[in-house]
Amino acid sequence: MNTGRILVIDDDPQIRRAMRTSLTARGYEVGDARTGEEGLDKLRSETYDLVLLDMNMPGIGGIETCRMIRSSSEIAIIMLTVSNTEKDKVDALDAGADDYVTKPFSMPELLARIRATLRRLPQAPDYAHLKRLTRQGVEIDLSSRQVTVRGHTSRLTAKEFDLLSYLLARPNKTISHRELLQAIWGPDYGDELEYLRVFVNRLRKKIEPDPSEPRFLVTDTWAGYRFRLPQ
Amino acid sequence: MASLVSSAGPGTHLIPKGLFRKSTHLIGRVVVALGLIAAITLICFRVIPVNATTVGFFYLVAILSIATASGLVESTIASVVAMLCFNYFFLPPIGTFTIADPQNWVALSAFLATSLAASQLSARAKRRTKEAIDRQNEMERLYSLSRALLLADTTRPIARQIVQQIAQTFEFSTVALYDRTTGEMYRTEVDDMSDIEAKLRDAAVRSSVYRDEESGLVVTAIRLGGEPIGSLAMKGAPLSDPALQSLLNLVAIGLERTLSQEAVNRAEVARRSEELKSTLLDAIAHEFKTPLTSIKAVTTDLLSAPSAELQPHQRELISIADEGADRLSKLVTEAIQLARIEGGKFQLSRAPHFPRSLVSAALRQMNSLTDGRKISASLQDDLPQVSADAELIQMVIAHLIDNALKYSPSGSPIEIGACVREQDVIICVVDQGKGIAEDEQSRIFDKFYRGSKEQALKGTGMGLAIAREIIRAHGEDIWVKSKPGKGSEFCFSLPIAPRSGGE
Repeated sequence: MNTGRILVIDDDPQIRRAMRTSLTARGYEVGDARTGEEGLDKLRSETYDLVLLDMNMPGIGGIETCRMIRSSSEIAIIMLTVSNTEKDKVDALDAGADDYVTKPFSMPELLARIRATLRRLPQAPDYAHLKRLTRQGVEIDLSSRQVTVRGHTSRLTAKEFDLLSYLLARPNKTISHRELLQAIWGPDYGDELEYLRVFVNRLRKKIEPDPSEPRFLVTDTWAGYRFRLPQ
Repeated sequence: MASLVSSAGPGTHLIPKGLFRKSTHLIGRVVVALGLIAAITLICFRVIPVNATTVGFFYLVAILSIATASGLVESTIASVVAMLCFNYFFLPPIGTFTIADPQNWVALSAFLATSLAASQLSARAKRRTKEAIDRQNEMERLYSLSRALLLADTTRPIARQIVQQIAQTFEFSTVALYDRTTGEMYRTEVDDMSDIEAKLRDAAVRSSVYRDEESGLVVTAIRLGGEPIGSLAMKGAPLSDPALQSLLNLVAIGLERTLSQEAVNRAEVARRSEELKSTLLDAIAHEFKTPLTSIKAVTTDLLSAPSAELQPHQRELISIADEGADRLSKLVTEAIQLARIEGGKFQLSRAPHFPRSLVSAALRQMNSLTDGRKISASLQDDLPQVSADAELIQMVIAHLIDNALKYSPSGSPIEIGACVREQDVIICVVDQGKGIAEDEQSRIFDKFYRGSKEQALKGTGMGLAIAREIIRAHGEDIWVKSKPGKGSEFCFSLPIAPRSGGE
């Protein structure tokens, strides 16, 4: 049985009803909200592990809600949207979502995505020595999920944290896109290059002194990504 | 006056009449001038006898007046006649043309020279004044034309207004304008225009100037930045060269201003209607897909239950609802795709892509919809990159695969291949279905067209139409090769992306 608290934010009552019924039956605790504003209120007063967030809602809308949640929380977010254009996917991920599902979706698919999003990297023992890393004015503290660059501290979301610690555990080695996707999101993934692009960009904004000229998180074109650890 | 059109006659057939009128006027003025000389002679000889010097002065004053009032011809004739009268009536021996005193020879010559020179100067001054007035008139007219063009009503065809304004301002009897961009002809009146039309086209193409001194017709190109953008013909009033040039510049600027204004308007209208269409389509998609989402969530959740929990007939019934929801969802998606793509007014975001990655991305998209059918993609690794909108081309491949799945027996394989042909990469989807009769092959890409024997099959009838629109938007081609009973091969071409520099 699954455990976790999920907040469904969608303006359509039937969708909320179906989600609540299905997710509750799978063992999740479910709360719901009709608008982004109401969802933000609930997130302030209650604790959740994951938000299912509709992109197209009256009021502040899904993207803005996502941004606002992200500005103060590292909670997992899956966006639900009608459009499946590349632009909308990237918009959603850029706003801070961890994943993206196109409406209408099949329930097993959504459940798999929820599991993948809530899924955490097994804490391998060799991560221990990486707990704290200080290089060139950048301080990465994996134990507290905090990054400090030039005195400015930011926290990593779960997926950002997983991606960074996976790369950090294999320094100076190019990791292929597929390996990264499957390690971080799960075995069903492998071709979603846009996920990596967006997440790497998000990480660069947090850990690189100059995100446009990455010093640590470098791209090996066509091959993958590499964490360059200056000795 | 540096007359551009020497004869100001209004028309070819009127010229003798005009000349006649002109010469009558001249004769009249000569008669008046001679009358004045005769009157002075009569008064000084008979009424108030005065000395020869005073008479000479009287004559000079009269000749100056004639030169100022009429012209050089009249004053020259008057000078000669006055000299003769002066000699005959006032210089001794009176009553003869002989001159006794050599001093009088000098006086007479001085008189003639003075009167001729004075006539000349006076006539020249008069001509200068007239020229200055003409120039001023032209300037005023050009100014009022430029003002009229600036204030032109943008809702009406500007070229027509230009023609009317020129005719009105410069009092031309005929004005015609040829707009090269639209190929249209605008003119004031229809008298004998066939000839002018040909000249207008010629002038616009060759950027030349045509002048007919006899009829007063001028046909000249309108240039903007050295390029002829049209031509203008005028008849009926003289116009100096500088004024003609200024007029042409004004017309060129007027035309260009409207053209750019029209282009901006058209783009704005297109943009707004695109925006509206896009918003509407998004709203429709949302309205349809929202209820479908809850239906799909319910049916798929139920179908995912372990088989023991559902009676077989219950599972069958839920499957029917589930498939119905899928079909409706697909219909909405494709109708919206088609509406967006149709008319070709959409932005392609082209980038270099490997054909292999386009095909595998399309296959991935369709993953759940292939019913476990065997689809083999055999694309070589060394195919060059193509310049294409990845998302749209994946859609094309997905539609072709979907089509192959629908129209071939469930056990038969589907193959995807690609090859290079000249500057293109050809991507083909091959099935082993029933094939398509030759007479149907051309219609198969039409919207809502389905093979005559295929009415029972599921499908929206939009997939191939969408595929064709997308490929056309890329400036490429899509086609089918098929023989009944031997399967079909759907192919499309994509341009090879130019190699980036530095290699």
